[in-house]
Amino acid sequence: MGASLLITQAMHGVVYGMLLFLVSAGLTLVFGMMGVLNIAHTAFYMLGAYLAFSVAVWTGSFWLALLVVPICVGLVGAVVERFFLRKVHVHGHGYELMLTYGIFFALGEVVKMIWGTFPLAVRVPDILAGSIPFFGNAYPVYRLFILFISLLVLAGLALLLMRTRIGIIIRGAVFDAEMVDILGQNVPLVFLGVFSIGSALAGLAGVAAAPFLTTYPGMGLDIMIDCFVVIVIGGLGSLGGALLASLMIGELQSFGVVFIPDLALVLEFLLMVFILAVRPQGLFGEKG
Amino acid sequence: MKNNKLIYLAIGFVVLVLLAVFPFILPKLQLNIVIEIAFFSLFVLSYTLLLGYGGLLSFGHAAFFGIGGYLTAIIIRSFPGVHLLLVILISAAAAALAAFWVGFFCVRRSGTYFALLTLAFNQFFFAVALKWSSVTGGDDGLGIKLGDMYLPFVGNIHMHSTTNMYYLVMAVVVLCMVGCWFLLKTPFGNTVAAVKDNEDRAWFIGYNVLRTKLTLFTISGLIAGIAGSLFVLFEEFVSLGCINLVMSTQVLFMAFIGGTGSFFGPILGSAVYIYFTEWISGITENWEFFLGVLFILLIMYAHRGLIGIIGFVVDRFRTSE
Repeated sequence: MGASLLITQAMHGVVYGMLLFLVSAGLTLVFGMMGVLNIAHTAFYMLGAYLAFSVAVWTGSFWLALLVVPICVGLVGAVVERFFLRKVHVHGHGYELMLTYGIFFALGEVVKMIWGTFPLAVRVPDILAGSIPFFGNAYPVYRLFILFISLLVLAGLALLLMRTRIGIIIRGAVFDAEMVDILGQNVPLVFLGVFSIGSALAGLAGVAAAPFLTTYPGMGLDIMIDCFVVIVIGGLGSLGGALLASLMIGELQSFGVVFIPDLALVLEFLLMVFILAVRPQGLFGEKG
Repeated sequence: MKNNKLIYLAIGFVVLVLLAVFPFILPKLQLNIVIEIAFFSLFVLSYTLLLGYGGLLSFGHAAFFGIGGYLTAIIIRSFPGVHLLLVILISAAAAALAAFWVGFFCVRRSGTYFALLTLAFNQFFFAVALKWSSVTGGDDGLGIKLGDMYLPFVGNIHMHSTTNMYYLVMAVVVLCMVGCWFLLKTPFGNTVAAVKDNEDRAWFIGYNVLRTKLTLFTISGLIAGIAGSLFVLFEEFVSLGCINLVMSTQVLFMAFIGGTGSFFGPILGSAVYIYFTEWISGITENWEFFLGVLFILLIMYAHRGLIGIIGFVVDRFRTSE
């Protein structure tokens, strides 16, 4: 295996890692704030991919899907938070967790009802369809486009969290929601907003993944396991941890598939178990 | 108090007699459903031990059900003459061993982390069952042929018969359930309750919380393994359906429909689940969606399950008198 192939493979890992980050970022942010691991999150991701397919078929424009679908999925997220999750909140985290699991299950069935069980292919716009030369190899433009989008989101999230007033409130709520509430902020509204943004990010990741990983009913479950491993390794509630862990898993999968195809998943679990044994709270997680 | 005990004994006796005569009064189709309810009750009970009594929410309980099931099929295929009770024992032991190691990593974290880790481990075992097809049959699964089972004083029993399978399953299930009932009455059962109530307090009083949780998880895995083994003996077939997330979801739904706060919730839950799915899958193709909606509604409005609803109605009735 030559150096240029190694570089290509490493790039594949970065691209998948960044896609994973798009999904796990919202998950880890919501968890940090509300203490709820939203299992339905990867169902939002799948919903995003399917909606992208339909929008692209109806309007013929992938760009429109990229714009509209995250907003729709964000709205679905808002409904789930406002009318389901908030009602169960008083019963404790266990019930919230089970509720999101129920929603994951029901959404998966809705998707099967509307779009059927066969994999669907979403066509990429012509500009993104080809390949460009890259260290002596041809590299698909679309993967670079995913990288571009996720870097954009990363920069946007960093700006929002670190440089704006809303960001201060969100970070404060992650640290101690009750205190922020007492200080006069409308914490339920912040929860709703963060949950919607997180869902929208999952939807965006779904749109981005639709042409790249194809759209099928198991896609939510498939990325869910990677997401959970990312969150365990990175530490629940930590964006930096999620980024680092996503890239680790991306690379592990990318090279694992080449060198030891059957054991790639096993390696992923061994890494997770190792981190758990050495540092149970994850790389960047707080003890708890 | 003494009077109550007598009443319970009488009820238990009547139930046992009823169970014993079922094969003579029920048509074969109904008998099959009763067998199904029996081993799923046991599986759900093992889950309720974890969730209801221990406060541990697992999304990966099918792992141990599946390990028990796969091992049963593999042993019977490799050593055709081996005694079925021995097969069940070995399968249960293997499931318990797996539960011990999974628990070893999982019980250190509680709440969300625990749930997420169990789910991840479940997917891991699923992937092993899928990829290691030379042993597990992969996508195709494994079929088994049941021979005779020798019992002292009775002789050889032909096991490829619904009635005989019914008695085997019932005997094992009732035995395990009685065992669980008494286990919850022991000091260990009280420790589990103390840990669920308040982990920190249990630590301070001097209980080893981690060891208690790990023991509970291992026992739960053992019983799930027995249930999985019975499942495969009954179906004479093992496939990925035993070990995938759908099975883990199913046990969660069954436990929740019955109610996780009561010992008899699992029996009610699995019976209602099986009859409900039987009924609704005849009406609509998208029955799983309605199952999901039912689950969401239960969590939102009746999170103590049917047992909780029944208790509520009975209380109302009593106070109005």
